[in-house]
Amino acid sequence: MNSEFNQRQEWEREFDAAARRSLRERMRFSFIYTYKPVLDDETYRSFDTMEEYREWCRKNLPAYLGYWR
Amino acid sequence: MVSKKSTSVFGLLAMNKFSYEQGELLAEAFNRWHVEYLFIGKSGAIFYGFPETTQDADIFPAKNPANGQKLISALRELGYNLTPEIEQDLIAGKDFVQLRGGLFDLDLVFAPDGIETFAEAQSRSLLIDGKFPVASLDDIIASKRAANRQKDRESLPRLEAFRDYLRSRNLIALPTNPSKS
Repeated sequence: MNSEFNQRQEWEREFDAAARRSLRERMRFSFIYTYKPVLDDETYRSFDTMEEYREWCRKNLPAYLGYWR
Repeated sequence: MVSKKSTSVFGLLAMNKFSYEQGELLAEAFNRWHVEYLFIGKSGAIFYGFPETTQDADIFPAKNPANGQKLISALRELGYNLTPEIEQDLIAGKDFVQLRGGLFDLDLVFAPDGIETFAEAQSRSLLIDGKFPVASLDDIIASKRAANRQKDRESLPRLEAFRDYLRSRNLIALPTNPSKS
């Protein structure tokens, strides 16, 4: 309970800090580029359904990327 | 699933990081071609001021052939190399289309989890900074909750806390240019 409260307070301090920056600055800090194996190895992919996409993620992407359900 | 191999992904890394300026380019091109779309996902939340990192811009386009055609024109103007196969997929409105190696990485999500229709999402959306149409934070949260991937489960508590933070201060988004306000 206490740690949850502390976590919330920490987040609110981060939100306060973000509020002092312009959108342009926030975007500069927020969009980063890190190479993601498999996902970034092709320039184009399309899937008929979201289910098909999720299944492809499960079968092809490393778990640590966080795309698994 | 349809896919196309990259020939020079690493050479393009420096240029495909999404920025405010690129967002403006996208918004201008999409407006010129009257594309119906919303920013969604974590990139959408960032427009509201959510201090978090992400790698690409997620776009929720209206799923109909006419909008697909407009999208093709706008993406061509932005310099994306669209093959006839990609164009066909965009007109058909496949549920998920991933474009890499262009001006910036784009995920086109024609059927995001947890959102019934584009029209409903559009009715709840906001125009941020007068130019960026963004799905509502509630819809972004609903979509992440429905997608229920590990990365969504990890980011949801903080995203919900951010929505509560805005509400507690009677804000719908953080100021876009605090230095001028």
